[in-house]
Amino acid sequence: MLAGASFSQPAIALRGVRKAFRSVVAVQDVSFEVRCGEIFGLLGPNGAGKTTLLRLILDIFRPDSGSLLVMGHHFSPADKALIGYLPEERGLYTKQKVQSVLEYLVQLKGVPQPQARANTLRWLERLEMLDVKDRKVQELSKGNQQKIQFIATVAAEPEILILDEPFSGLDPVNSRVMIQAIQELAAAGRTIVLSTHQMSLVESLCRRVFMIHQGRQVLYGDLEEIRKQHSDNSVIVQSNADYSHCPWVAQAVSNGRGMQISLREGSVPRDLLKWLVEAGADVESFEKTKTPLEDIFIKMVESK
Amino acid sequence: MNKVWVIAKHEFLATVTRKAYIFTVVGMPLLFGGIFSISLITGDSVEKSIKSASEPIAVIDRAGVVDFALAATLSEGHNVPQDAAEAIRQVSGAKLPKIVAYPDLDQAIQDIRQGKLSAVYLIEAGYMTTGRIVAYSPERGMFSDLAPPDRNRLYDLIRASLVNGRLEGETRDRVLTPGTLKQMKVSKRGEVQGNSESFQKVARFLGPFSMFLLLTMSIFFSSGYLLQGIAEEKQNRVIELIWSSVEPVQLLAGKIIGLGAAGLLQVAFYAGFLFLPAMTIFALFQVSLFGLILSVVYFALGYLLFAGLMAGTGVLGNSPQESGQLSAFWTLLSIVPMFMLAPISENPDSWLARGLSWFPLTAPVTMLLRVTSGQIPWVDVGISIIVLVISIYFVVRGAAKMFRAAALMYGKRPGLGEIWRWLREA
Repeated sequence: MLAGASFSQPAIALRGVRKAFRSVVAVQDVSFEVRCGEIFGLLGPNGAGKTTLLRLILDIFRPDSGSLLVMGHHFSPADKALIGYLPEERGLYTKQKVQSVLEYLVQLKGVPQPQARANTLRWLERLEMLDVKDRKVQELSKGNQQKIQFIATVAAEPEILILDEPFSGLDPVNSRVMIQAIQELAAAGRTIVLSTHQMSLVESLCRRVFMIHQGRQVLYGDLEEIRKQHSDNSVIVQSNADYSHCPWVAQAVSNGRGMQISLREGSVPRDLLKWLVEAGADVESFEKTKTPLEDIFIKMVESK
Repeated sequence: MNKVWVIAKHEFLATVTRKAYIFTVVGMPLLFGGIFSISLITGDSVEKSIKSASEPIAVIDRAGVVDFALAATLSEGHNVPQDAAEAIRQVSGAKLPKIVAYPDLDQAIQDIRQGKLSAVYLIEAGYMTTGRIVAYSPERGMFSDLAPPDRNRLYDLIRASLVNGRLEGETRDRVLTPGTLKQMKVSKRGEVQGNSESFQKVARFLGPFSMFLLLTMSIFFSSGYLLQGIAEEKQNRVIELIWSSVEPVQLLAGKIIGLGAAGLLQVAFYAGFLFLPAMTIFALFQVSLFGLILSVVYFALGYLLFAGLMAGTGVLGNSPQESGQLSAFWTLLSIVPMFMLAPISENPDSWLARGLSWFPLTAPVTMLLRVTSGQIPWVDVGISIIVLVISIYFVVRGAAKMFRAAALMYGKRPGLGEIWRWLREA
């Protein structure tokens, strides 16, 4: 943790931020906070304004209005050393060797050369890529280039990591390696902003999320709370009951794991469970359903 | 500042280790030098030229005008070589060829073919009326003379033979040697300078002029690398990653320093490999310290100006090729003084020269040219330096603004109106 920072102070705070390009408003009145040490999910469909938001945080773009604070203060050039950025578009010096590219990019974060060398070698070993350090970047597969790009982001040991589609081009094995690395970094106290379309990963890695659509906030807050607010009132039941006479059931559909029961408005799962017991049904399992984030995402996008 | 040096070092090393750079700097001079050397060695033209230039000269005197006994009294060639044969003998230290009488033309031509003679002169029977002499000489490959060798020595022998016994004393000497010429030059200001001073003036011009060429080349090499580098980084999307770590001004400063050093290294190599032998001679004729200092100052200012322009232009294109096309405007404008080399050199204080010295885009090249022409008024030096410094400030600031606005813009190029709006914004 950076000296002087604390968990009470957000790592990143946006207030009423607006950014337009020519006549297109890319970001409109956006406000959110990223807390120190958390993995924060940034979601949105293509062209929603996610990348613009990230570039605003990095001071690549400057907001037309609103405020943006990093570690409690307005962004200064020195803060670039605090933030590691993995852009969505892969960008490396393709004709240079992996090790020299990594050392250069890490040194640009203000890390002295010997330390940069040691850090990059450590991360190459961590991601099982030590054997490619003397090869040119262009000789690597897309997936391996993505891993190299990730190492360039984390090897300078920045306090904040902004990862835009970090799993792009990775097979399942390498995705798992990357997930483990991200979790280790979070456990070590790094603040991570994760922008991705892979909802399952957001659900497994993030506690809080921000969703943007057409430049505006759509969802923001704790992931569990969001699910509760937007989930269907339904349960999945494995039993031999006949639901046609149940007063609490609005709809019952088989989904392979049992019956998905949509409850009538005003009723709660406990009501159905009580009815099943009183009806003498054999209940093998009874589970309250959580609406997948992807479904919530699609529902929010389509409703706008 | 540390990041600037990191970038500078990276740019320098990445450029000088490129195959294209190494080929341009080292390979091309070696390639041309090697080809030239091979042609010399296998063609043995030089050996033939030197050897044949030392063989005797045959004279077939059908007019009976030549007194061959006087041949030995001729002077040992001329101080300044009159033809290639004399030049080769002076350089190689070969002996002066004898002039010998030959009775038979066929035998003489046979001996030329066999390399026993360097030339044959046939003085025709009607020479005293017509003045006709026919010369026969071997082909010498790349060192072939347009005129036959040592003809002036033959003329000297004929003159000596004709006046022998007919003229005496000073009259005879003046006929044989009409005079030694001393040349004086009158300048436009009415100053009279001796030939040696004029010659020194030429030498003083040649030394700085060589430096002007080298430094101008370096300006364009280095700023060209900068343009290409920025365009490539935009094309391969590295630029966003770099930008997340450094400020645009730091990136530009690092690139300007690193690539400037790469361009200077290239020019230094050319200077050492190609120009140093010639420069050694010119150094004897005193390249002035003032001219040297001014040349370095204008080189530095010129490079900074064009580096800024190239950086700001390079970021507009979607590819190195496109950026190169956009930057052609600056290149063409900057070499305008080179098209006016003659008027500027002849009249370095004219309003044309002064005007070009005060306009930022033409100032570096014009002032480098004027330095070679002698004294420059201090007011011109002062004004041009001030203009350049102010221009560099605005150009580099503008380049940083262009960078911020266009580095992540792909697809359609911005129009002039949009560019102007970016430059005006804070």
